[in-house]
Amino acid sequence: METRISGWRIALGAVVTVILAFLLLPSLITAVISFGSSNQIVFPPTGFSLNLFRRFFAEEGWVASTWLSFRVAIWSTLLALFLGIPAAYALTRGSFPGRKILALFLLSPVMVPHVAVALALYIYFTEIRLTNGELRLVFAHAIATLPFVVVTASAGLRHIDPALERAATVMGASRLTVLRRVTLPLLTPSIIASGLFAFLISFDEVVISWFVARAGDTTLPIKMFSSIQFEVSPVLAAISTMLTALSIVVCVIVATVQKEARSD
Amino acid sequence: MQIRTTNAHVRDAAYAMPAALFMALLFALPLFSVLHQSLQQENGGGLTIQAYAKIFTTPLFLRVAYTTLEVSISATVFSLLLAYPIAYFLAKQSPRRRALYMILVLVPFWTSSLVKSFSFMVLLGQSGIINQMLGAFGIAPVKMLFNRFGVMVGMSHFLIPFFVFPILTSLRSQPLELAKAAAIMGAGKLRIFLRVTLPLSLPGVMAGALLVFILSLGFYIIPALLGGRQDMMFANLVDFYTREALNWPMASAVAVLLVAAAALAAMLLSKVRGGSSILSEEGH
Repeated sequence: METRISGWRIALGAVVTVILAFLLLPSLITAVISFGSSNQIVFPPTGFSLNLFRRFFAEEGWVASTWLSFRVAIWSTLLALFLGIPAAYALTRGSFPGRKILALFLLSPVMVPHVAVALALYIYFTEIRLTNGELRLVFAHAIATLPFVVVTASAGLRHIDPALERAATVMGASRLTVLRRVTLPLLTPSIIASGLFAFLISFDEVVISWFVARAGDTTLPIKMFSSIQFEVSPVLAAISTMLTALSIVVCVIVATVQKEARSD
Repeated sequence: MQIRTTNAHVRDAAYAMPAALFMALLFALPLFSVLHQSLQQENGGGLTIQAYAKIFTTPLFLRVAYTTLEVSISATVFSLLLAYPIAYFLAKQSPRRRALYMILVLVPFWTSSLVKSFSFMVLLGQSGIINQMLGAFGIAPVKMLFNRFGVMVGMSHFLIPFFVFPILTSLRSQPLELAKAAAIMGAGKLRIFLRVTLPLSLPGVMAGALLVFILSLGFYIIPALLGGRQDMMFANLVDFYTREALNWPMASAVAVLLVAAAALAAMLLSKVRGGSSILSEEGH
């Protein structure tokens, strides 16, 4: 009996290790390559250097695209938060007819393939003659990130005990005061989490941007996409490492913020 | 009283109005204009189903439709086989360790698909790392990129985390007593798994499979970067008609069919036990 249990455990452990290696090794190997001293893609690297990172910062095109992506991510995140947090409040705290349908509508961009949204906005922006490239990207990204904000904020609101809000109301606080002094402070971890997720989604978004962006507005993912297609530049290894690091940082911050919120 | 409730309704709903308005103007309306565009004649004029009629007689479309279905189904099966052991393993851990191991699934989940594709090009390429290693043993290079194999590897890698979450939820909702009762009655680990744990987790598997299938239908980056010309999927075809053929009605018709297929699968998903919770908890 004892041996059978450990046999099962060892087999499971081995299988899980292999699958986790498949999930994690590709990015890890790319990260190792990015610190290599050669100007080509070599593994294992022959020495340590920051050459590829230096090349990234030295090339104007890469830096400009990164800035564009950064600006678009900031503005679309702010827009998604501005729209999504009140919507989540209405969906979780309010009671009105059509609430379920409204929830489904606000979450539907997740279920619609991105390429359809991309084509839709490409045609629509042309029709309404929206020519400001950055604004096109901000609107498009806000649509892609809004569902994530609504879901994360709704989950956060469901964890806040309505009794706290009721107590404040009983003691004479107006609805807006309750919202400002009780609900929003308690919701801060969820707001931070949803904002970071929205930022990351926007910063990495390719398909919609590829359709919606105008010729001059090359976001970092668009530039990466065409660079991977036409010449596999080793600089991409350095960019990949930085993007992976960004994802890890966001995951860790979100995990920490939400853990603290739960232990309060 | 009646008036007060109506006022309360309006006030509650008002908070969601900006988002609803934004989505109506920049999501619903644009999608509607795709539908409208798909019913346009190529050289102007009234509404017509010309594009659809044409599409179903175009060999290119039929081939791409077949590829999309084939790739989506196999990617769903492959990622299920790889996701299930991870979900099972995670379900067995203490909450503390589970949170730790979960990071190993969440990091790839949040990694850009471009980073993944680039990494796989470095690994699987003709002179990539794997072929270099094979070469050291005197084995001739194997073609793993720009073909179906590359697409499968890339898509499974992308989809595994999406599959792990619903399976894990369904595994964790099982009462621990069930497996214990089976063990007391003399069932071995494998038997418990096959007769108790696995059947009870099937709703999670179903929900995950539908979600992953919906995602697969719309893949663009991975077939474009890791696949060959023959691995073109629906999304790549939309791109082709939009950018190269400059045929908006055809591009729109393909997009409408793609959305219809995804909507159909999403409707099934909402019918599956545990599926409706996925629809509302996607962000976790």
